[in-house]
Amino acid sequence: MSSTIDLNVRNATTGYDAVNVLHDVSVQAKAGNITCILGSNGAGKSTLVRMILGLTPARSGNVAFGETDITKTRTHKVIGKGISCIPEGRAVFPKCTVLQNLRLGAYGVESEDEIQNSLKNVYELFPRLHERKTQIAGTMSGGEQAMVSIGRGLMSSPELLVIDEPSLGLSPLFVTETFKIIREINNRGTSVLLIEQNVKQTLAISHYGYVLGQGRVVAEGTSKELSSSEAVHSAYFS
Amino acid sequence: MDGSRMDLALFSQYIVNGLMQGMVYALVAVGFTLFFGVLDIIKFSHGDVLTVGAFSGLTAYLALSGMGLSNPVVLLLLVIIFALSVTALLGMVVAKLLIIPLKQARAPALNILLITLMLGTVLRETVRLFFPNGSSSKAFPTLLPTGGIDIGSFSLRIDSVMLFVAGALIIVGTHFLITKTKLGLAIQAVAQDEETSKLMGINFDSIVLITFALGSGIAAIAGIMNGLYYNEINFSMGLLLGAVGFSAAIIGGLGNLYGAILGGFLFAGLQTFAVVALPIPTAYKDVFAFAVVIILIAWRPTGLIAEKYSERV
Repeated sequence: MSSTIDLNVRNATTGYDAVNVLHDVSVQAKAGNITCILGSNGAGKSTLVRMILGLTPARSGNVAFGETDITKTRTHKVIGKGISCIPEGRAVFPKCTVLQNLRLGAYGVESEDEIQNSLKNVYELFPRLHERKTQIAGTMSGGEQAMVSIGRGLMSSPELLVIDEPSLGLSPLFVTETFKIIREINNRGTSVLLIEQNVKQTLAISHYGYVLGQGRVVAEGTSKELSSSEAVHSAYFS
Repeated sequence: MDGSRMDLALFSQYIVNGLMQGMVYALVAVGFTLFFGVLDIIKFSHGDVLTVGAFSGLTAYLALSGMGLSNPVVLLLLVIIFALSVTALLGMVVAKLLIIPLKQARAPALNILLITLMLGTVLRETVRLFFPNGSSSKAFPTLLPTGGIDIGSFSLRIDSVMLFVAGALIIVGTHFLITKTKLGLAIQAVAQDEETSKLMGINFDSIVLITFALGSGIAAIAGIMNGLYYNEINFSMGLLLGAVGFSAAIIGGLGNLYGAILGGFLFAGLQTFAVVALPIPTAYKDVFAFAVVIILIAWRPTGLIAEKYSERV
């Protein structure tokens, strides 16, 4: 059941209006791995996510998922290729119930059996969501919304899960819990591209990582290499 | 005053009339609320889409009866199908060519509002110029049974009952579509968070097109209902109906389906009250109703059903 599709970003440049935010960025998320993108605020991490998902398409270079070029593919079709996203700030649909949120995560899944199966898996991972399935998501705590958002991202049984700053705005205890769950998701066979500011905990669960600084890749390596790297420290503290 | 029996009959007539009007207003308001809910836009051409619906229904009738078709059931069905198709298509074209590109270019809401206002004028004037002697009212055919059910001295027109039931079914159907179907769930998702809805694999553009087709189709039904009830349509009918539907959506709480329905019937209730209970000339009913709307909005600036307790479509 393990994922077999690599994500490749090659020499990609993009940005908003007249300003380029990412310059000539090349990143690979290998199938089966947790790959992390580290960097401080404004380094271009979220723009990289937006580029991969087609929300802010690359202006030059390309993005490929396996053999498929998705550089100019529209967002809803990128999702259909087996990529799923847990957006920054969780972004649950606040006026929908937990169950509706989860079902929206499986929007592209036709078979009701498959949806029920995914629901079962999500409830297994987060029993709380089963208890609260009729609750309106906007009335839940931040930690519970994080569960909804992660669960929703899993509903399409993705090959690759892109997780944008999961630790943002969560209590330290829940951050630790979230990282444990990400590792668990990966152990079950899903590739993960993890975008984070939290260096230590991120490197602890990642296989490989990239450090972004001012829209460029300033360092890359296995998490062990990065842990002791000067570049990581300078990217954060310079 | 005549005998009290006469008054009761007259009173009942006003009530039925008010309910019919309320239904038409509610249907128009539902469109405003759908467009605002999904795209955060006010589409001022909505009333004129209703006019286009009513007039394309009339066109279909004239063409079909000219071809010798005379069965009223078949005629009515074809009139509705034609009007629905024309307005749904019109709604989708407007969304595709004007609204979506403008939203993508991040045009200010005011510009979109202005453009739909101008589009309304274009539609209205087109109807007026296209139809021979288009400035004057046109007779709308009687396609529903004309009998009545006598209740005491009061005769309840069967066509009123049918129109009211049809309107109620459309509202219930729309509510079902939005709250109970997969398409409705996608419409809700798009309404709440455009970008995240795309991340769920929802095709944003097609949901917008479907919403515009739906809202515009409902307006056509409202236009035909109005025509069937009064046996007359006019190129400017959409102006007042649009203003009333828009007000109804606002007092109910824009973006809220229940609010739109409540607002529609409230407005009709105010008009009926002005006619029945106030010592003012009947022609002043709109003046009275709009004045009360102004007061209501001053009292409840976000609408009667506050958004945090309600589900925005």
